[in-house]
Amino acid sequence: MSEPGTIQVRRHRWRTVDIVVASVIGVVFGVVFAIWNNLLYSVINAPLGSMPIAPLASGVWLVPAVLGALVVRRPGAALYTEALAAVVSMFFGSAWGLSVFLSGMWQGLGAEVLLALLAYRRWGAGAALLAGGGAGLAMGLYEIVAYVPTYSADWKVIYVGCAIAAGVVAGGLAWLLMRALARTGALAPFAAGRSQGEI
Amino acid sequence: MTLLQTHLSTDPAAPLARRNPVAKLAAALIPSMLLLVSVDPVSAGLLLTAWLVSVPAWGVGWSGLLRRLWPLALAVVMVSLGNAVFTARKGGATLLEAGPLLVTSESLATGATAGLRVAAIALPGVLAVLTIDPVDLADSLVRYVRVPARFAYGSLAAFRLAPLLAAEWEVLGRARRARGLGGDRNPLRALTVLGGRLFALLVGAVRRGTHLAVAMDARGFAASAHRTCARRPVFGRADAALVAASALLTAVAVGVALATGAWSPVLS
Repeated sequence: MSEPGTIQVRRHRWRTVDIVVASVIGVVFGVVFAIWNNLLYSVINAPLGSMPIAPLASGVWLVPAVLGALVVRRPGAALYTEALAAVVSMFFGSAWGLSVFLSGMWQGLGAEVLLALLAYRRWGAGAALLAGGGAGLAMGLYEIVAYVPTYSADWKVIYVGCAIAAGVVAGGLAWLLMRALARTGALAPFAAGRSQGEI
Repeated sequence: MTLLQTHLSTDPAAPLARRNPVAKLAAALIPSMLLLVSVDPVSAGLLLTAWLVSVPAWGVGWSGLLRRLWPLALAVVMVSLGNAVFTARKGGATLLEAGPLLVTSESLATGATAGLRVAAIALPGVLAVLTIDPVDLADSLVRYVRVPARFAYGSLAAFRLAPLLAAEWEVLGRARRARGLGGDRNPLRALTVLGGRLFALLVGAVRRGTHLAVAMDARGFAASAHRTCARRPVFGRADAALVAASALLTAVAVGVALATGAWSPVLS
């Protein structure tokens, strides 16, 4: 048995493989975001307008935050993966400029806070749903300041509610993705891959 | 892959395009952050005009910029309409009334202000990012913002995989097509195939990332004690001047909005 202190250090320090794989997840989703932003979102969002249910179509943006955290399991992973995905989508041609980055920071932070409240010890489906909900809440709050500041109060509540719902769905999706990734063996260097030992 | 507009012909020698990436980002962040505080046509309009005037100095062509910005233009219209319909301010003359939908002159003006503000928040960042090279950005972030080098260069290494990912995406599509998957007219079926293709891309990327990490460790990437850097980014007087000019411009816009009484904080 080593001392608790050393375990703590090892648990929280990012290895190179943590950094690179979290980055790779961020980059893949950044590319997905870029396509989503430039083609699909504009098409989907046109009929939705900025209606109070518009956040329901925004769940895609919250997946990397939860997925990055579930795979890497380090403090800051949700924030890092989400922020990087936002930055990458910016470089691949987003019309939104830095507001994409600000959104990414908030969404990542929302998931991060929830995971921190679970002391970075729970990584199951429940934690994924909660983290997704946290990201959704943060997204909703940011967007009522940035995009729909003049809505009346009850519409704002509905807007945030839709954002949270989208976040919970995104969290569930991220958990399913993580499990599917683990099953392919691609997560062998991570605790997430080892917890799927049964065949 | 034409979906990714990786390159837009910009003039790298333009006066503002040559600035340090950190200076550009700071200059773009200052107005965006302040515009988030208030919803008023004066500060948003002034800042949007000022940044539109600065477009030639960034070395970005108008046609390219417009091609890049069409989703934003669409979003501005939609945000304006959404805010016009769902706002609580319904004074003035009634313009449209259809069931629960009610648009009045006041609500339309409110919506237009919200749309204008979204455009003013986005434009500075678009200009800054269009002219930033990711490698320069990583170097400058490490040197001037003290971003941990392992994270900056680790993400840069992953970013360099993006063109490979685009190529792999094509290969995956063809491989699936050869096995009779894809090319469906049924949208639900097409979505399933697309999902599978995306998942395969993700698995391939994670595998490649794991190999990359081992290779980077073998070259001493994790040993951060005595890291030296090959490229030295410069943050000169002109870069500081850009940040100062942006701050001054933002201050003037906010000052004018306050003086005219238009300033109205979101959380009031």
